Amino acid sequence: MKFKIQRDDLLMPLQHVIGAVEKRQTLPALANVLIKADKELLTITATDLEIELVSRIQLMVDQPGEITLPAKKLLDICKSLPGDAEISIDIDNDRALIKSGRSRFTLVTLPATDFPSLDEISSVYEFNVPQSMLKELIEKTSFAMAQQDVRYYLNGLMMEVSSGLIRTVATDGHRLAYCEKTIEGDLIDSKQVIIPRKGVAELLRLLESSDDPIKVVLGNNHIQCELANQRFTSKLIDGRFPDFKRVMPSEEGNRFTADRESLKQALIRSSILSNEKYRGIRVILSKDLLKLQAQNPDQEEANVEVEINYTGDDLEVGFNVNYMLDVLNTSGQDVIQGVIKDSSSSCLMTFPEESHCKYVIMPMRL
Amino acid sequence: MMNTELTCPIHWQRAIALIDMNAFFASVEMRDFPELRGQPVAITNGLQGTCIITCSYEARAYGIKTGMRLKEAYTLCPQLIQRPTRPNVYAQVSTRIMHAISTICPDMEIFSVDEAFVDMTPCQQLYGSPGRIAHLLKRAVFDASGLLCSIGVSGDKTTAKYAAKVNKPDGFTIIPPWEARQRLHAVPVTELCGIAQGIGGFLARYGVHVCGDMQKLPISILAQRFGNPGRRIWYMAQGLDPDEIHTDIADPKSIGHGKVIPPNTRDRDVILTYLLHMTVKVSARLRRYQFEARTYFIGFKSYDGWLGGKMKLATPQNDTHLLFQLCKSALDQHWHGEGLMQVQVTALDPQPTRLQLDLFATDPCLEQHKQLNHAVDQVNHRYGDMTLTPARLLNRSSMPNVIAPSWKPDGHRQSI
Repeated sequence: MKFKIQRDDLLMPLQHVIGAVEKRQTLPALANVLIKADKELLTITATDLEIELVSRIQLMVDQPGEITLPAKKLLDICKSLPGDAEISIDIDNDRALIKSGRSRFTLVTLPATDFPSLDEISSVYEFNVPQSMLKELIEKTSFAMAQQDVRYYLNGLMMEVSSGLIRTVATDGHRLAYCEKTIEGDLIDSKQVIIPRKGVAELLRLLESSDDPIKVVLGNNHIQCELANQRFTSKLIDGRFPDFKRVMPSEEGNRFTADRESLKQALIRSSILSNEKYRGIRVILSKDLLKLQAQNPDQEEANVEVEINYTGDDLEVGFNVNYMLDVLNTSGQDVIQGVIKDSSSSCLMTFPEESHCKYVIMPMRL
Repeated sequence: MMNTELTCPIHWQRAIALIDMNAFFASVEMRDFPELRGQPVAITNGLQGTCIITCSYEARAYGIKTGMRLKEAYTLCPQLIQRPTRPNVYAQVSTRIMHAISTICPDMEIFSVDEAFVDMTPCQQLYGSPGRIAHLLKRAVFDASGLLCSIGVSGDKTTAKYAAKVNKPDGFTIIPPWEARQRLHAVPVTELCGIAQGIGGFLARYGVHVCGDMQKLPISILAQRFGNPGRRIWYMAQGLDPDEIHTDIADPKSIGHGKVIPPNTRDRDVILTYLLHMTVKVSARLRRYQFEARTYFIGFKSYDGWLGGKMKLATPQNDTHLLFQLCKSALDQHWHGEGLMQVQVTALDPQPTRLQLDLFATDPCLEQHKQLNHAVDQVNHRYGDMTLTPARLLNRSSMPNVIAPSWKPDGHRQSI
């Protein structure tokens, strides 16, 4: 295998796939990227056996072939070369010779046959959505995913497609984020999948805020997303996602509306003195006024007031302040609306201008 | 009694005292049983115990020490009198002593079952000089318990602790803060509280053997090796220990109970009874102080060492039944019929009970256990521990409870 390539042309695709390479791996080949040189196409693949990222580059190749190279070292070499450098890669026996200007590197290779590939994907479902839509669906919800929860099905993002609707839901058992969008196409039956945390993060890195379509393929065990020069594949979490419809509170109750930015600033200010570990904050609602109270173990106290629109019952509820801030940070809208039944029921938060997203937070005992 | 008001008429910027009971358990026994007074007495855990927990000063004169085997002690002093511990009595006496101290100086740190630091700084306005306050404290301890104690007074904890050791028993030593550095100058650093062989060896390599040598050592060397505790050591040796009186009881690092079981036990039922006994104690204590834990150490000591290991739950819990299930699976996993001599159940990462409510309903079974535990706890709180227990514990061991040195009159350390 032998080819010449501009430094930037190699750096970009390498950066696209590097996220799949784990820092520590059990299989030596997983520390490498697979480089496959066809006559006019160079393909770079990285995997951790759960997700697989592929980048493609149009390139005239001197001598076709395939090999795997140490991913991190190859990326670091590329990064350290000047922007306009030309790199030549030449495989000789089991060594890779990389030359650019007056720098030469030899890297240890592993044969392409050692490189694991994900199982064949049996397509069950296929649809196209604008990239920006998929991006929004993930961005508005993925923050609520659990981390290393024993309920493994919570450590991911649920995506559900049914007649004309695509929705994403994430929850860690204490709060839940929900987003739905309409999609075109004749989708008859519905399909629900759970994408693991790492896959969600890598997929998000791939997406741009453009209306270019992305092809999404849902298999029984995989999700695959195809862009012009990139492909993302992830295994799915095999589990039953909790019934989110059951925990969606009714829209009836004590309702307040507030300016998002002033509520956010008030929460940030009062959170300075909330318990660093438990992040509890007392929310006191009275006519057109929201009071925030935080106390830490040193008995230091914060009291912050915000004007809101509220005509409901006087109410005192505890919340994890981070959960509230996470919701406020998902949107740039001016107005936020909250509905609370009582101090032991969940709170429904929405942005009136973004009715396709809903957020549910369970209170804390204070 | 000397006139302490004359000895020390100046208001100290910081006045710390350490109150240390003299051979506490032995003194309590001698107080309650006059025939023991003036005799060499050794306290063991029940009459079955072979290890000396503490001994009277008369016994110490024969060279008998805490931790010594009874057999060895008898060779040193054949007329030695063995007495079993009475942990409940010691806990009661300790509580009364600590309470008496706190009525004079409320800023106190209970260092162990028979030791307490007090911050007398603010009390000077009320009672006068630190020396006078120390006399009041000594008197109060005696009135509350009928026991003598040793008191050390200085401007910091380390010097106060050193001073309390100086004239034991019934010691009374005042080292004014401005004399502390001078008084510690020739004292070996390893005599200070908290400097054992490890740190002592490190200091010795740098030529620091007595406290006076410490000034020659740049503080950064200690800071680099031991961090903030290292910096503290540097100050300690110069009579400037900055450590405050910690009035609150820190969250526990673990909560556990263990028991020695009849030698070479191989009967699964007997082992389970002991495990249940420990489980009931651990879980009740967790619940009492509103803690729960996710990881438990469940261990069985065989003649080849400890079997068992860390068992992890899905979520933090403090339910007796669930914990006993965990013990059973630990036994199934790690025990293959070896003869056992001891069992242990310890909650490794106790944390305050969760305040965050859950979105999805929890196991209804756990909810029922919660109510059962609550009822059992209420009954036992009113009528005494183990009034209401699982039926299996009717056959539990009658081996006496042991009082831990870290016992405290309030909070999660109050357990026997």
